[in-house]
Amino acid sequence: MDPKVNGQIQTEWGWLVAIYLFLGGVGGGAYTIAAVNGFMGEGLALSTRVGLWIGFPALLIGSLFLLADLGSPMRAVLAGMKPASSWIARGFWIITVFMILAFLHLVLYLYTDIGGTVLDVIAGAGIVFAVLTMAYTGILLGASKGIPFWRTGVVPVVFVVSAVVTGHFTIMLGMTLFGEVAVMGTSLRTMALEAAILVALEVLVILFFLQAAFKLPDPRESAERILRRRSFVVGYFILGLAVPFVLMLVVYGSLAQDGAGISLPLVAVGALLGLVGGLILRQSVLVCGALPTLNIAGFQFRRIARPKERKPSMGMLPPQ
Amino acid sequence: MPRWGMVIDLKRCYGCYACVMACKVANHSPPGVFWARILKGESGSFPNTVRQALPVLCMQCDEPSCMEVCPTGATQQTDDGIVIVEQDKCMGCKYCIMACPYGARYSVEKWESYFPDGLPLSPYEEFAKRAWEEKSGCGVATKCDFCRDRIAEGREPACVEACPADARIFGDLADPNSEVSILIKQNRGEVLHPELGNKPKVYYLAPR
Amino acid sequence: MTAATQNRIEEDVWIPTCCGQCYCMCGIKVRRQNGVVTEIAGNPDAPSGRGHTCVKALASPHLLYDPYRVNYPLKRTNPEKGLGVDPKFVRISWEEALDTIVHKLEACREKDPRGAYFQATTTQASEIRFGVIGFMKGFGTPNYWVSGGGLHCGNGAHFMNGIMHAAWSIIPDFAHCNYALNFGCSKGHGAGHVAVQNATQAADARARGFKNIVFDPFQSAQASKGHEWVPIRVGTDGALALGLINSLLNEHGIYDAEYLMYKTNAPYLIRPSDGRYMRDKETNKPLVWDLVDNGPKAHNDPSVTRVEYEDVAHEVALLGSYPVDGVECRPAFDLLKEHVKKYTPEYVEQVTWVPAATVSRIAKEFGEAAEIGSTVTIQTSKGPKKIPKRPVATHFFRGTQGHVNSGWTCLSVDLVNHMVGAADTWGGAFGLGAAVGSGYEGTGKPYQIPYPCPDGLMVAKTWVYDHVPYPMRVPKPPTRLDLHDMFPTSIYNAFTITSPRWMELLERFKIPYKPDVMINFGSNSVMTMGNAEAVTENFLKQFNFIFSFQLYITEFEEAVADIVLPDACFLERYTPAVSFPSTFSHPQGEDDWGWSIRQPVVEPLYERRDFNVVMLDICKRLGILGKYYKGLNDSIGIRYGGEMDEKYKLVEDGSVEHSWEDVCDRMLKDRFGEEHGLEHVRQKGVFTWPKKKEDVYWKWFNPVRVPVYFEYFIDSGEQIAKLWDDFGGQDFFDLDWSRFKALADWYPCPTHTETKSEYDMHAFYWRAVMHCNSMTQQNPYLDEMSQEDPYVYAVQMHQDTAAEKGLSDGDHVWLENPEGHRVKGWVALTDGIEPHHLAIAAVAGHWGNYMPIAKGKGTFFNDLVEMDLPHTDPLTFNQDICVRVKIYKAN
Ligand SMILES: Nc1nc2c(c(=O)[nH]1)N[C@H]1C(S)=C(S)[C@@H](COP(=O)(O)OP(=O)(O)OC[C@H]3O[C@@H](n4cnc5c(=O)[nH]c(N)nc54)[C@H](O)[C@@H]3O)O[C@H]1N2
Ligand SMILES: Nc1nc2c(c(=O)[nH]1)N[C@H]1C(S)=C(S)[C@@H](COP(=O)(O)OP(=O)(O)OC[C@H]3O[C@@H](n4cnc5c(=O)[nH]c(N)nc54)[C@H](O)[C@@H]3O)O[C@H]1N2
Ligand code: SF4
Ligand code: SF4
Ligand code: SF4
Ligand code: SF4
Ligand code: SF4
Ligand SMILES: [Mo]
Repeated sequence: MDPKVNGQIQTEWGWLVAIYLFLGGVGGGAYTIAAVNGFMGEGLALSTRVGLWIGFPALLIGSLFLLADLGSPMRAVLAGMKPASSWIARGFWIITVFMILAFLHLVLYLYTDIGGTVLDVIAGAGIVFAVLTMAYTGILLGASKGIPFWRTGVVPVVFVVSAVVTGHFTIMLGMTLFGEVAVMGTSLRTMALEAAILVALEVLVILFFLQAAFKLPDPRESAERILRRRSFVVGYFILGLAVPFVLMLVVYGSLAQDGAGISLPLVAVGALLGLVGGLILRQSVLVCGALPTLNIAGFQFRRIARPKERKPSMGMLPPQ
Repeated sequence: MPRWGMVIDLKRCYGCYACVMACKVANHSPPGVFWARILKGESGSFPNTVRQALPVLCMQCDEPSCMEVCPTGATQQTDDGIVIVEQDKCMGCKYCIMACPYGARYSVEKWESYFPDGLPLSPYEEFAKRAWEEKSGCGVATKCDFCRDRIAEGREPACVEACPADARIFGDLADPNSEVSILIKQNRGEVLHPELGNKPKVYYLAPR
Repeated sequence: MTAATQNRIEEDVWIPTCCGQCYCMCGIKVRRQNGVVTEIAGNPDAPSGRGHTCVKALASPHLLYDPYRVNYPLKRTNPEKGLGVDPKFVRISWEEALDTIVHKLEACREKDPRGAYFQATTTQASEIRFGVIGFMKGFGTPNYWVSGGGLHCGNGAHFMNGIMHAAWSIIPDFAHCNYALNFGCSKGHGAGHVAVQNATQAADARARGFKNIVFDPFQSAQASKGHEWVPIRVGTDGALALGLINSLLNEHGIYDAEYLMYKTNAPYLIRPSDGRYMRDKETNKPLVWDLVDNGPKAHNDPSVTRVEYEDVAHEVALLGSYPVDGVECRPAFDLLKEHVKKYTPEYVEQVTWVPAATVSRIAKEFGEAAEIGSTVTIQTSKGPKKIPKRPVATHFFRGTQGHVNSGWTCLSVDLVNHMVGAADTWGGAFGLGAAVGSGYEGTGKPYQIPYPCPDGLMVAKTWVYDHVPYPMRVPKPPTRLDLHDMFPTSIYNAFTITSPRWMELLERFKIPYKPDVMINFGSNSVMTMGNAEAVTENFLKQFNFIFSFQLYITEFEEAVADIVLPDACFLERYTPAVSFPSTFSHPQGEDDWGWSIRQPVVEPLYERRDFNVVMLDICKRLGILGKYYKGLNDSIGIRYGGEMDEKYKLVEDGSVEHSWEDVCDRMLKDRFGEEHGLEHVRQKGVFTWPKKKEDVYWKWFNPVRVPVYFEYFIDSGEQIAKLWDDFGGQDFFDLDWSRFKALADWYPCPTHTETKSEYDMHAFYWRAVMHCNSMTQQNPYLDEMSQEDPYVYAVQMHQDTAAEKGLSDGDHVWLENPEGHRVKGWVALTDGIEPHHLAIAAVAGHWGNYMPIAKGKGTFFNDLVEMDLPHTDPLTFNQDICVRVKIYKAN
C-alpha cells in the first residue's frame, strides 16, 4: 500500500473539547500558582488575586464547552455515574469539587477577612484538586484505548506542564491588565524568568512525546500528521513556545532589580502567544488521533481515509 | 445462558460487502455509519502481492474498554455477553468511541438522507429515519448489537444471513460443541489486538 | 425493531421474487411493511442464490424509491440531439406518448418495417425474450441488438461456448474440481452469470483445498482468493492457452486419448489438399481410422463410437497418416499437435509476460491433476453409471474475450479442457448455466438435450437467440442494418453501424431502407458500447425517432431520446421466466432446477408502467396483437425448451386479448402443468424439480462430439469473403478472412503492436462487485460502498511506475489513447497490478445531469474504446477493450 495514503483519524473530538481541556488546564494551573503564591505571602498578593479570579471562571466556561460538545446535553447530569471506571465521571467530580473550592477560596480571600487555617485548608485541598484537574485533562486522553497516539503515557505529562505554563501566562496577562506597574514590577520580573524556565521544560516534554510516538507504528502515523500541520509547527511550536521564551528572557533581562522600566505590551504579547499555543497544542493532539491498524495473518489493515465526495449536488430532477 | 460470538473465515471471505449492506439495511443506518465494515489490505510486493478483505464489527468484548470509560453507564453488557448502548442513558460524550480499539462505534448528530438535501424523503427513507431514531438514536453512541432483536426471533444476524460465502458463522461460545467453538478450536481462531486485553468474541480464521 | 414500531405495523410480509440488477437472476425475498419495501434478503427456495444475494440486491430499496427515477412519460422539446445537449424534457400524458409512438411506428411500417430497431439491455435479459422478440416478429423487423454491442459479453464467448458446450459460458464443477485455470473472469468472485451461487460454491471449494490459478493483470477478487496469481499481459490469453496445450501434448505428452477419440472430431481424417474432412464416397460421412480393423470407418459407425463410458468400441487413430482412396490423410489431432508446436514456453513468455518455466509447470500440474483414466460412479435415473473423473478446468469470460483475437482465444482456452477430457463431466469444465436437461417429468419441458449433426458434431437444442452457434448459418446477402445476416460467426457487430460511412455502406449492400425508429429498452449504449462521440454521432443520430423505456434519464436519453417512458423496475412487475432460458444464467451442479419468476412487490409507483404491459398496448394500437402473440409463442418454443401446447398458446388471430398476467400464467402452465400456473409459482417465487445426474455430467450420456478442428470455418470464410467481395465491401473495410480456418491461433491486439513509446500503459477494465455496468452508481448505498473501497472509483497503478512518472496516490490524471481520446481519473497506487497496466472498474464516470449521485464518480473507460475495424475481431467482430494509453497529471 502506498505510504502516503493516510489511515483514518478520529473526527468526533475537535475544537470544543480542545477548549474544554485548555480551560481546564488554565484554570487548574492558574489556581495552583495563585494558591501556592498565597502561602508564600504578601509580596505576591497581586498574582494570587489574579490567579484566583481566573481559576473558577475558567473551569466554569470550560465545562460549558464540553456541554456544548455533548450529543445529548440534557443527560449531562448522568456524567458522574461511573467514577469507579470512567475518567469522564472522575473528571466530573474532580472539576465539581475543584470549582466549589476555587469559588469558596475566591470569595473568602477577596470579600472576607477569614484567613489562617480555614483558608489554608481550602487552599490546600484546592491545590490538590487543581493538580488533579490538570492531570485529568491528560489522563482522559491517555485512557483512550482507541487512539494509540494518546496512549504513549506522555500525554498527561505534556498536558500538566502545558497547564502550568498556560496558567502562569494567564496570571501574567491578568496582571498586566489590572495591576499598577510600581507594585508588580519585581514580581513580573521573576515570573518572566519562571515562565521562560517552564516553557523550556515544555519544549523538552514535547520533544520527548514526539520521539516516543515515532517509535511505534500507530502513534507514528499521528506524529507525522501533527508535524505536517502548519498550525502546530508555526502556531504552537514557534509562536507559542519559542517566541514567548525569548520575550520572557528579554523582559527578565531588560528590567532593573526594582522592576522599573517594564514593558507591559511585551509581557502581554508573550503571555497571549503562549496561551494560544497551549490551545493549538490540545486541538492538534486531538485531531491527529489516528485509529490503530488491525493486524492479522501478516496483513495490516488500515481504515483508509481518502477524501470522500461531498454530499451529492441536486442535479436535475426528471420533470414531475 | 449463551455467550454469543462470531467466527469470520478469511479464507472464505472475498470482500463482497454484502454483510456491510445487509447491516446498513437491517439497521437503517445513515451515511457514514458502518457497524459492519470491510477493510481491504495488501501484503507482499509484486508479483507476490496478495490482497485480503477484513470484515470488522463490534467484537462484543468480554472486557469492553468502551463500557469501562462510559461515565453514565449507558454502555452495558447483557447476560449473553452482548455490549449495548442504552439510548436514554447516553449523553453523547463519545468517549467510548475514543476507547474502542476496533473503531466499532459511531455517533450521528442527526439522521441524514442519502440523497441531496432539500428533497422530500422517500417512503423507504421515512421508514429508515423512524427506525433509526427509535432503535439507535441521534446524539448518542451507536454500535453493532449482534442483531439481538433478530436473535430473539430465532433469526441469524443480518450480516451472517447475507454472506454469500458463508464466511460468517454465528453461535454460542459457551457451548463447546457449537459450530463456532469447534471452528475456533480446530482452526486456531485468532482475535484482533489480543494484547489490549479486551477479550473480543469475534474470531478470525486465517486466509490461507 | 422496538415494540413501539411493531405496534404501528399492520402489514409485515416477505414476498419471494427475483432480483434484476444484473442478469444473474438470484432469488430474493422482499420485506414490505405498511406498503413500503424496507428490507431484502435471499430466497432459500431458489437454487440461484439459495438464500444469498449480492450487495446490489440488498441496496435495491433505493432503486425503487430513488427520487431521480423517471415517473412520468417525457417528451424532448429540444430538436437538437447530441452529447451535452439539454433535451428540455417536459412531462406528457401516457396517451400523448403512445399516440406519438404508434404514429411514428405506423409511418415506419408504411416505408419499411425493418426501419424499426430494437436496442435492449442485457441486465434485463429475461424481459427481452418477450416484449422485444415478440415485437420484432409481430412488426416485422430483424433489427435488434443488446447493448454493449461489439463489446457485449457474447460475441466471442457465447458463440464459442455454444459450439463446445451448448452453453453460454464455462465454469469449473466447483463441487469436485481440484485445479482450475481462471482466464480473466470473476466467476465465483463477484461477477459472472450466476455470481452469488458461484460465490458460495467457490468458497466451499476453497475450504476443501481447490486450487484456482488466476491469470489477471491485477489482484482481482479472484486473484486474491486464488491459490496462485499469475500476472498476465492483457489480450494474450490465447497465446498462453495454446502454449499450455503445446506443453501438455508435446512437452509432457499428456492428453485424454479416450475422450478425444469418441467425444471430439480429433480422429476425423483430414485431406491434405484443402484441410477438409476426408468423407465416405457414398454416405459423405467424415471418416476416422479404425486401429483394430485397420481401415477407415464412418465417424458414427457403431464399432468406433462410444456414447456411454462403459460402451466398448475399437480404438481409432489420433496420430499418424493413413491412406484413404489413395490419399494420405492425417487425423485432425495429429495436425493440431503439430500446429501448436510453435507456442513454445519461450514464445509464450515473450507475448504474455508469463515466465516460460511457469507455463510448463502449470501445464504439468494441470495435466497431472486431471487424473486421466480415473472414473467415478454416479447414480443416474438408469442406475449407477461409471463416468470419467477429471477434476480440472479452465474458465474464462469478459477479460479474455474482449479483444481482437476473441474467437480463437475463447476456443483456445476451452480446448485445454478438451485435451484432457475435462468437459461436462465430474470435476471438469461445465457449460454455464447448465445447458442440458430432460425437463420437468410432469411435462418433459423445458427439454434441451443436444444432438449430433450429420457430421457428428453437437447441436444445441435450445438457444437464447435465434441463431444457434452450430451448425453455422449460411451467409446471406444482408437485410439487417448491421449486415448481420452475412456474418454467421458474430452475434453483434459495432464497426458497421458506428462507422461514419454507415449510410453509404447500406446503399452499397443494397439495403433498401434506412434506420428510422429506435426502441430502447433499458440500455445506456452511449456509455456501454465504446467511444461516446462515435456511438452518438455515427449511430444513434441516424435515427429519426427514438423512444426509450427507462428507470432514469441516462446519458443515452439526454443525448438522443425523443420520448422517455417510465418503466417499472424489477420490484414492480411480473416476469414469467427469469432463470430460464437455462443456457443463460442458471445454477451450476447437482442442485435442483429452478424456474424463477418476478412478481410485483409493490404496484408500479406514480405513472410507471411495466415494459411488457406497454408493449402489449403498443401492439394492440398497431393492430398486430395476433402477430405479436405468435412471436411470443414461437420465441417460447425456441428458447424455453419446447413448443407451447395448443391449449396454452396465445391466440394468434388476435381475437382474444391476453393480459400480461395471462401470458405469464399460460407459459407456466404449459411448462409445468395446469396446477402450476402463476398463482402457484408466486407462493415461492420459483418452481423447482430435481436435476438428473446424467444431465449434470452429461458428456458420456450423449452421442455428440465437439470440434478440436474447425473444418467448417473454412467453408464459411470462403462464402462470406465471396459475398463481401461481390458487394465490394473491401472499399469500406479491408477485412481479413484468413482467420476462418480450422486450427486455433493467437493474434496480437493493437495494444501489442503500438509503436509510439509515450503510450506505454495498457489500460483495461474489471467489474466491481457493487456495480453492474453503468446502472448502479446512482444508488447512494452502492456509491458509498464504492467510496469505502480503495479501488472501485480509482485508476489502479503500480507504485513504482507511478514513482517513475512522478505521480502519487490520489493524483488526478488523464489517460489518453493513440487516437487522441482521453478520460480523467485519479490514481490509487498499489503493488497488486502488473507495472505496465492500469485497471479501471465499472462503466462509471457518468456525466448525466439526471443521475447526480453517479455523476463524476469513477472513470469513463469506454471513451478510450475505439469501434473501428482495427479494434475488431474479424472472426466474431468482438471489440477490443484493452487500450494503450499515456498517463499524465491533470491540473
Ligand atoms: N468497458 C467495458 N464496457 C462494457 C463491458 C465491459 O466489460 N467493459 N461490458 C459489456 C457487457 S458484457 C454488457 S452486457 C454491456 C451492458 O450494457 P448495458 O445493457 O447498457 O448495461 P447497463 O450499463 O447495465 O445499462 C442498463 C440500463 O438499463 C436500465 N435499467 C435497469 N433496470 C431496468 C428496468 O427494469 N427497466 C428498464 N427499462 N431499464 C432498466 C438502467 O437504468 C441502465 O441505464 O456493457 C458492455 N460494456
Ligand atoms: N458485479 C457485477 N456482476 C456482473 C456484471 C457487473 O457489471 N457487475 N455484469 C454482468 C455481465 S453483463 C457480464 S457479461 C458478466 C461478466 O462476468 P466476468 O467476465 O466475470 O466479468 P469481469 O469482472 O469483467 O471479468 C474480467 C476480469 O478479467 C480481467 N481481465 C481484463 N482483461 C484481461 C485480459 O486480457 N486477460 C486476462 N486474463 N484477464 C483480463 C479483469 O481484470 C477482470 O478481473 O458479469 C455479469 N455480472
Ligand atoms: S459478505 Fe461474507 S464474503 Fe462478503 S465481505 Fe462480508 S464476510 Fe466477506
Ligand atoms: S469492539 Fe469496541 S465497541 Fe465493541 S465491545 Fe469492544 S470495545 Fe466496545
Ligand atoms: S457516548 Fe454515551 S455510551 Fe459513549 S461513553 Fe458517552 S455516555 Fe457512554
Ligand atoms: S450483527 Fe447485526 S448489527 Fe452487527 S454487524 Fe452484523 S448485521 Fe450489523
Ligand atoms: S448477482 Fe445480480 S441478480 Fe444476483 S443479487 Fe446480485 S445483482 Fe441481483
Ligand atoms: Mo454482459
